[in-house]
Amino acid sequence: MATKKFAFVVKSLPYKTEASRLALTHAIASQTVEIYLEDGDNVEPVLAFIGDGVLNCLRNQKAMNTYGVTSLEQHIKNSLLLDLKVLICKEDVEKFGISEDALIMDAEDIGGETRANIVAFSEIMKEMDSSNHLLFF
Amino acid sequence: MKLGVLVSDFRNMDDTLSRLKADKLGIILVSNGVYHAKVKEGGKQSPILEKSPHLYALAEDLQTRGFAETDIDSRVKAITYNDLVDLIFNEYEKVIWV
Repeated sequence: MATKKFAFVVKSLPYKTEASRLALTHAIASQTVEIYLEDGDNVEPVLAFIGDGVLNCLRNQKAMNTYGVTSLEQHIKNSLLLDLKVLICKEDVEKFGISEDALIMDAEDIGGETRANIVAFSEIMKEMDSSNHLLFF
Repeated sequence: MKLGVLVSDFRNMDDTLSRLKADKLGIILVSNGVYHAKVKEGGKQSPILEKSPHLYALAEDLQTRGFAETDIDSRVKAITYNDLVDLIFNEYEKVIWV
């Protein structure tokens, strides 16, 4: 019986590459692997946005209208809907002068109850430190 | 030379751009390049906005990333794909991508 913790850390900008989308889809997919696990085993994903990666978390992304693809906004909301822990680096949000209003902090519009959290990088570092597997995107 | 420069990155292109010389230098922000039109780091606007008075950003790429066309630096003109084609064919003799 064990819980394996995975930290998905997003430092890439969205859309030009698939990096941040891969992080989100992997993190979301990690919630479905329990059907392959032994009883008592579990997976705990944590999703953290740092550096330029915090720009994935801006609201009002129109990717479906423009590129015909799902937006990173929708993926982040899906993560929250599945109760993933979503962390956004406070120092980087401040560096870019982004207000909390401009960020995807919840998924209430699709029935989610979990909220994203803006936290100091030291908190994200603790999550990385306590994870069994660390994945940078 | 009238030179159009397509910028699709937010990082690591400034050195090349600053060395380019042209009678008319147009900077066209596309893909992740559009962050230059909006994002300030430490309260400072992107230095790319100082490189030329001819600045453009692709509207679709702005909208994709959550930015309104009206919400970007006033020096940057939001353009459509059709505008981009017009720029390439009518305004600039050469076009490069950095």
